[in-house]
Amino acid sequence: MSGMIHADAADGGWAVATHGLVKRYGRETALDGVDLRVPEGAVYVLVGANGAGKSTTLKVLMNLERPDGGSATVLGLDTGADGARVRAQTGYVPERHDVGYRWMTCARLIRHVAAYYPSWDSAYAERMVRAFGLPPGRRVGGLSKGEARRLQLVLALAHRPPLLLLDEPTDGLDPVIRNRALSLLAEHLADSPATVVVSTHHVHEMESLADHVGVLDGGRLVAQMPRDELQRTVRRYRVQVPEGWQAPPELRAAGAVRQRAGREVQWTLVGEEGELTQRLSTAGAQVREVTPLTLEAAALAFLPDEGSR
Amino acid sequence: MMQTALHPTPRPASVLREQLRALGLALRAPAAAAAVLAAAMALLITLGIVEEGHRIDFYPELSMLPAIAGFLLPLAVWWGEDRFGPGFLWTLPVDRRRHALTRVCAGWMWLMAGVLCFVLWLLALALLTGGNLVGDQTVRVLPAAMTNVPMALDPAALRTVRWTPDPLLWLVPFTGATGTYLLASALALGVRHPLRWVTGVVLGFFLALGAIEGTKSLGLLKGATRVLNAVFSGPYGIDALLTARTESLHTVATLTSGQTVEVWHALPHTGQWAAATLLWAAAGLAALWAAASRHGERRRG
Amino acid sequence: MLVNLDPRDPRPLYLQIMDEVRRALVVGSLRPEDPLPSVRELASDLAVNPRTVSQAYNELEREGVLYVRRGQGTFVSPDARSGTDERRALGRAVAKRALLDARRNGLDVEELMMIMREVAAEEEGELSPAAPATGHGDEE
Repeated sequence: MSGMIHADAADGGWAVATHGLVKRYGRETALDGVDLRVPEGAVYVLVGANGAGKSTTLKVLMNLERPDGGSATVLGLDTGADGARVRAQTGYVPERHDVGYRWMTCARLIRHVAAYYPSWDSAYAERMVRAFGLPPGRRVGGLSKGEARRLQLVLALAHRPPLLLLDEPTDGLDPVIRNRALSLLAEHLADSPATVVVSTHHVHEMESLADHVGVLDGGRLVAQMPRDELQRTVRRYRVQVPEGWQAPPELRAAGAVRQRAGREVQWTLVGEEGELTQRLSTAGAQVREVTPLTLEAAALAFLPDEGSR
Repeated sequence: MMQTALHPTPRPASVLREQLRALGLALRAPAAAAAVLAAAMALLITLGIVEEGHRIDFYPELSMLPAIAGFLLPLAVWWGEDRFGPGFLWTLPVDRRRHALTRVCAGWMWLMAGVLCFVLWLLALALLTGGNLVGDQTVRVLPAAMTNVPMALDPAALRTVRWTPDPLLWLVPFTGATGTYLLASALALGVRHPLRWVTGVVLGFFLALGAIEGTKSLGLLKGATRVLNAVFSGPYGIDALLTARTESLHTVATLTSGQTVEVWHALPHTGQWAAATLLWAAAGLAALWAAASRHGERRRG
Repeated sequence: MLVNLDPRDPRPLYLQIMDEVRRALVVGSLRPEDPLPSVRELASDLAVNPRTVSQAYNELEREGVLYVRRGQGTFVSPDARSGTDERRALGRAVAKRALLDARRNGLDVEELMMIMREVAAEEEGELSPAAPATGHGDEE
């Protein structure tokens, strides 16, 4: 029947696509024309400060929040018209740590959720519960923050959904468990390929898993590109400049001056390295060094300087 | 590019089954409390029989307890669910309005099971004490024209009738509880703070009543009384739903001889009860649908 | 096989994995017909996207360094030897890194090479009395 809808038929091959998404809470604008494009099979990391709109974006994709403008499709399904089917394709780790019903035991909650997903893999769920050291007999209300997070991960992964929406999945996990969770996620992706959208402000944790990055700032998607492109085009330039040198305006727009010490200036600039070096030297500055950045530093380059806040 | 077929949503039957199971677990505590209470009452009554030879007749339609339980149950059903936020229920892959109604339905099934236990318990008590099972009794009926009972009633005006309640009225505890359950469910789903609403409405009701009395306008007072009577004890009022009017139709009168007896304005009418029940159930369902629609997938308007 | 990824390395992750495999061949920790960890294992160990590992393996397979035995996994090709080409490629990578570092510190090539020889000679001098012991260690 209609179970065989293919993503490319509906939305140009994007596993997740939003079109001019707007969401307001009273006078606050949480999302301001967000055009997310997540390719099929990508691990897409959504970066941004608290309140930048990461959680809201994921909630709109789950149709837990209805947008005030724009639309979103998930695997070719319109989130507003087909919310239930969208959620059937999605493993969701919510922002909040309260999971399910406080009076249920972990094991009971897992069975509860299992009833909702025909594709539920109970053996896999059990394996994950053991790997995460979750107490199956404990009531959900008595779980620690980290345990609740792990339980949420089990619930999100065990039905092997084609899409994972993870809102700060490592929040509250201690370093050992966090690494185990990330390894488990990598294994999961090897066993059941899925598109992943992760929201986090700890980008370095997702460093090796991410292959696409989107940067949200105040509800606007200010950058969105493959990881390789991000790391190729965002670099730190150390340049030596003559006394009283002023940066040409087109360069001033391209990045913020991070540090200035005497006749040395350090910039983080966005653009192809060769081109930028050329432009700098035409402007009279001598490029001393170009340093590649970590994914996190590169992503943060798109946010306004901490100093200016 | 994408080869995999989409995952199916769960079948409605399995969602209902799971909601039934989960609610059963959630309702264990209140059910246990009710069972303990029932057992204690049974014990007291049994002791009473041994000492005084009381008998308990079987009048399931007379008890308001199922209706009260039906009104309170939605509180337990929706306890701990962030209905107007990103509640856990809403994250599951079921159309949200359908999901809400499924849970209401599961709660209703447990309610009916509970009411059945209650009725059987009453029946058992009647059997145990050798009470009247059919519930037939001789009643004194006032003349139809007499709406106000005089201070001293002439016994000659009373008609004595042998009345056997229609067995259909055994359904009253079930339908009464259903009616209150539907209305309270609509309240629980439709407004953010149902308890505040209930308190507010009750307070407002008394305030309005006080204000009307304060105006000392007889016409207004009469009108208010008429409306209240219609809602509570009228032919299609709440009492018709909850007790088939057995509660409001009989009253106590003092005869000219000084004797106090129970008299009936009229005998309960099964057809009227059925109509009232349908009316209230329809109203409850409509309210429930509207309330559940607040949680629908699509934005309205 | 040990694979280390450097988060500061701007090269795509799949290239880093490919280089690590090549390095293992040159160093000798991987020999022809040796099995490689499965995509799943390596992805889990490194916590990287399995697609990245697949991409690296596919590229290496295309280059003839690896081959796939159906149902058994990925193996090092029998003719994948740590040939002079591979060594050269590795050496060039090392040289590039060293040069980059040198320029950052204001050294030119000649200076760097001179100092390198100097340091190497010093280290050899330090090591020579303990040479048998280290030789033994190398074999382990």
